[in-house]
Amino acid sequence: METFFQLLFGGLQTGSVTALAALGIAIIYRTSRTTNFAQGTIGMFNAFIATFGLIHMNMTPWMAAIFGMLASFLTGVAVDLLIIRQAKKSSPIAKQIITFGIIMIFLGAAPMLFGVVPLSFPSFLPTGHASIMGAAISHNALLNIFIGVVAAGLLFLFLQYTRWGLAVRVTASNETTAKLMGVPTSHVTMGAWAVAAALGTLSALMLAPAISVNVSMMDTVQINALIAGVIGGFQTFYGPVLAAYIIGVSRNLLLFYVSSTWGEPLLFMFILLFIVLRPNGLIGKKIVKKV
Amino acid sequence: MQNILKHNYTKYIVFGIIISLMPTLAGIGLIRSASVIVLGAVIFYGVVAIGLNILLGFSGLISLGTAGFMGLGAYMSAYLTEILGLPFLLSLAISVVVPVIIGSLVGLVSLRVSGMYLAIATLAVSEVFRLMFSEFTDITGGFSGMRASFPSFFGISLSRDTTFIFLVVILVLLMILTDNFVNSSVGRALLTMRVSETAASAMGINLLKYKLMAFALATAYAAIGGVMYVHFIQFSFPTVWTVMLSLQILAAVVIGGIKTIFGPIIGAFVVFGVPELFLNRLPIIGDIPGLAFMFTGVLIIVVILFYPNGLIYLGHDIKRLWLKNRKSQKGGETA
Repeated sequence: METFFQLLFGGLQTGSVTALAALGIAIIYRTSRTTNFAQGTIGMFNAFIATFGLIHMNMTPWMAAIFGMLASFLTGVAVDLLIIRQAKKSSPIAKQIITFGIIMIFLGAAPMLFGVVPLSFPSFLPTGHASIMGAAISHNALLNIFIGVVAAGLLFLFLQYTRWGLAVRVTASNETTAKLMGVPTSHVTMGAWAVAAALGTLSALMLAPAISVNVSMMDTVQINALIAGVIGGFQTFYGPVLAAYIIGVSRNLLLFYVSSTWGEPLLFMFILLFIVLRPNGLIGKKIVKKV
Repeated sequence: MQNILKHNYTKYIVFGIIISLMPTLAGIGLIRSASVIVLGAVIFYGVVAIGLNILLGFSGLISLGTAGFMGLGAYMSAYLTEILGLPFLLSLAISVVVPVIIGSLVGLVSLRVSGMYLAIATLAVSEVFRLMFSEFTDITGGFSGMRASFPSFFGISLSRDTTFIFLVVILVLLMILTDNFVNSSVGRALLTMRVSETAASAMGINLLKYKLMAFALATAYAAIGGVMYVHFIQFSFPTVWTVMLSLQILAAVVIGGIKTIFGPIIGAFVVFGVPELFLNRLPIIGDIPGLAFMFTGVLIIVVILFYPNGLIYLGHDIKRLWLKNRKSQKGGETA
């Protein structure tokens, strides 16, 4: 039972990291109508900025995280203003390809500005363990799970109960009508990119203590977040979050109880099987296309 | 015979002959011999890009598993020829058929849902392959890599220069094959589907069948490219077959020009050749890390936003602009 809880909390921790990235992807998918493949890379780039603040400006990890998230806000705004807004009339495929271009720009920019050596970023809570059902869970893991749940929760409240949240939901459901009703859709889109970038950065910083800050740190997170989006369905904001936690936990359980080599391939098999059986995701609704 | 001459296969063959002169040029010292290896890379990545272009350009689908399937082809061919000692041509056939079967299964699953899912499903599959390349050390050699030798068939063992020419032959054959394919009824069906899926299915085009066909073909080209890679570079490491490589190949298609056959080759030259041959050789900025990625990334966005047909039309457009300019100048003089 100890091991089970150890695995469960480990899974929830990776789930939190994935969930934040997936949430960013979902927000951008709804407001800009594109799959943002650059979510992880933007997070990685701003994690470098946060680490720069930590090393060269003597910030504490908390301050550095806030610094990185502020920087990511600006990054998101810049990406929207300079690139995404110009591509408004492009086809969905062209927009996806543009996000691949964004990936490459940040992958090139990170080593240019911060060097090729991986940097280390400390945990927010370096010491302390809690014992849950006999399993020793570090305080930092609990904090990460907490941050994931709270960030997702706050975002839901924001979307559901504020004027701006309403504007986002209106833009998401029909951009043209929203514009006609006087919703500043271009501000909404810009805000979506900024928030998504901040979520990506937070997710990168939560992951950083485990694997160091390097250019490929977010690759796995990006893939899992996209899969979480597919499984949870992009039609709701909570679907991808739920799916991210499910993927995190089931990955851990498969790796330990089934096979450490075959666990990961098996998980992807299950995911493909799931897509066949429930093509519209856990909570998704079928979208009917008309001519 | 008349038909063959009338068809413009000639341009592919002429192109092939010019490229295959490169090792000779290196032999007499006109270009550096390291450049021949870079051009070889342009050729096999070009083959993969032509395959991806069938998928992206003609059916409007994106695959991010290109590198994974390419790696699968490479590792299989290396294993079959080096460890099992099978003849090269047989191992080439097996190393293409197996990835195509796997690819078709993945395609069958994800294409039933929506086009967007193919990108994500192939991304996942490619990730599984990459894990397998580094984990299954018995077959793949793990992180220490896998060796292969230059191809040999019909009692002839190729050297580096003749392997280069062999790659060019494969490239030209595949170009001609692709030309035939995109001008066939299947190619037309794919184009119709790209414009409007609903209209295409109303006209009796089986969407799933044609999408699957395009994806299987793209996978086959990727696997062939992988086999070419491993027998020309003679080494395969798991770190090569990452998502980044898939993105670079996609970039080659977009930058060069979608829906064309020479476009991906030009794109492959820009993405894989230019950084190695020119950028990294520049004084001062040549040493900056990440320069090549930055270059490709900016180019993708600029091409998509301002020049969606791709660089292949650059010469054509410059000529037209120049002619127009001259005409208007002349008009100004007479008036």
